[in-house]
Amino acid sequence: MERSIIHLNVADFAVAVERVVDRGLQDRPVIVAPLGSARAMVYDMSEEAYQSGVQKHMLLRTARRLCRDASVLPPHPDRYERAMRALFKQALPYSPLVEAGDVDGHLFVDTSGTSRLFGPPVDIAWRLRRQVKTDLGLDPIWSVAPNKLVAKVATRLVKPTGEYVVGAGEEAVFLAPLPVWLVPGIERDDLSRLKEFNFTRVSQVMALSLEHLQVPFGNRARFLYETVRGIDVSPVLPAGQQRPAVISDHDFDEDTNERTILEGALYGMVEHAGRRLRRQRRAARHVSIALDYSDGIRCVRQAAAKPATANDLTLFKAARQALNLARVRRLRIRHMRLTCDRLVFPPAQMALFPEDRQTREKQDRIVAAIDCVRSRFGRDMIHVGRTLAA
Amino acid sequence: MSKYPCTIRVGTSGYSYAEWLDAGFYPPDTKPGAMLQQYTRRFSVTELNYTWYQMPKAPAIERMRQQVPSDFQFAAKLTRYLTHEIDADQWRTHAAQYRDGIAPLIQSGQLAAVLVQFPPSFQRTPQNRHYLAALLDELHGLRAAVEFRHVSWATERVYVELERRQTALVSVDAPGLKELFPRLDIVTSPDLFYIRFHGRNARGWRSGNMQKQFNYDYTEAELHEWTEEKIERMAGQTCSGLLFFNNHVRAQAPQNALAMIRLLVDQGLMH
Repeated sequence: MERSIIHLNVADFAVAVERVVDRGLQDRPVIVAPLGSARAMVYDMSEEAYQSGVQKHMLLRTARRLCRDASVLPPHPDRYERAMRALFKQALPYSPLVEAGDVDGHLFVDTSGTSRLFGPPVDIAWRLRRQVKTDLGLDPIWSVAPNKLVAKVATRLVKPTGEYVVGAGEEAVFLAPLPVWLVPGIERDDLSRLKEFNFTRVSQVMALSLEHLQVPFGNRARFLYETVRGIDVSPVLPAGQQRPAVISDHDFDEDTNERTILEGALYGMVEHAGRRLRRQRRAARHVSIALDYSDGIRCVRQAAAKPATANDLTLFKAARQALNLARVRRLRIRHMRLTCDRLVFPPAQMALFPEDRQTREKQDRIVAAIDCVRSRFGRDMIHVGRTLAA
Repeated sequence: MSKYPCTIRVGTSGYSYAEWLDAGFYPPDTKPGAMLQQYTRRFSVTELNYTWYQMPKAPAIERMRQQVPSDFQFAAKLTRYLTHEIDADQWRTHAAQYRDGIAPLIQSGQLAAVLVQFPPSFQRTPQNRHYLAALLDELHGLRAAVEFRHVSWATERVYVELERRQTALVSVDAPGLKELFPRLDIVTSPDLFYIRFHGRNARGWRSGNMQKQFNYDYTEAELHEWTEEKIERMAGQTCSGLLFFNNHVRAQAPQNALAMIRLLVDQGLMH
């Protein structure tokens, strides 16, 4: 069956929510950023501020210089979460498959096969937008497309307001003239590699065969090959079902920016996540770290685990890499979250070279031994030295 | 040969409905992208609904146009930004964008008409009258056909003004609810008469659910009412006619449209 995915995107979500709360902020530049901090960074900004050159994660004082008449408000994450829940609720009557983004005003609704009940997907999307506007005061951009990837690109194209409908079979034609950076999933590394070949448009990448792409991109070639053609089979998750992931959180007793303390806490979180992964007989291919700084700004960075792993030692290596990427500010950190996702069954493929194989086996044996001791004598019976610093 | 020099085309409002697969109108496994080509085997005209939801974009319209035979025609519904969600400051820009979007149909001569359908909330007030006049000026040359959904527009002065502008008044077949525009057969343009069959489901009409509103199957007798009493007379006053069935829910629209074609052929109004 052909799929019909609706994507709702409330542009500049934090600003849109603040404008609902305070109507006086309409039609004037707004910047959301923590106040009272010398090195505060922009959390979100309105279209007017963006047009003046303000961007996310820019220093607030630079942003203020660029847009002198902007109203600056502190972030209210609880408000945004409530608004997100309300947005989610609006879509529920139309489909059991509703997937929300991470408090960012993005919502996917899979309306495939519902037309007998509710009419054509394009009409559902229009009504949904009208309802959201009436009930919540938010005005989402909407798109209808055969998959999530194309639906997301479509709303990006018409930002800050509007709509876009991409028919089935039109995915490749739709993407072809667009710049490559507009396509979600094509990351910074891919872009810089493509730039080396002077490829900036989707149509240029589309002209390459899978074999051609494999030369510079290796394993990533298949993903790129399909993505530029608008092929995306990822499902819209059922409402209430989160993407399978193992999450571990840590609140620091005192805000800190000490590397040893951060890494010690991280190792403890990795042990916790690793144990849960091993219990589920799963391995993670992707690790992300979210750092909440003391001024309320959150920084999220990620790293790939290659091959997929549930071993504490290799998971820690990837997590530390993500931590180093996220720890870019001089401010102290209040809270840290580790997310292990893209879960798969542990890879059966053994390492090609004996040295690698031996290292891997050794690491697995150590972790298995620690698990064994802990399951028999209790969790605190054995510690890795690194965690004692946290 | 038809008895009259009037060319009548019959089609449906929209053609891409999953329900029409279940009903057997399209062969099983027909992809949405292939529905238009299948549709053109049975009909010579369609009404584009999506141009109401989304501002038409010339490349997409051109791709669609290339899928149909050169004598196939389209009636394009006017964007909602000019009928339902009018922005006093922006509407002229939207009219220009719309004209640009449907340009491929204009250039190829395949634009049968632009359907200007107003909502029931668009009543005959001085402000709305002025807007309509300005809108029709803006759409000059596009062969507009105006559909009202509110009874306040059913007055002689409206018909006279449309006639002066040579703009078609859309005849609607809808439930006989007192606030709705009545079922009339008035011809206001020497070039075109335009009839839309929405179905006569009065309960569904009030439900606010499109799937109930347009769920109706016309009987042969109801279609006869039109062919014998009205269409023949209307065809005598114009050089072309468009008939669209909007009762799409269970694929009644294409079935009723085919039945209508048979009746018109029998009557010598189509060939």
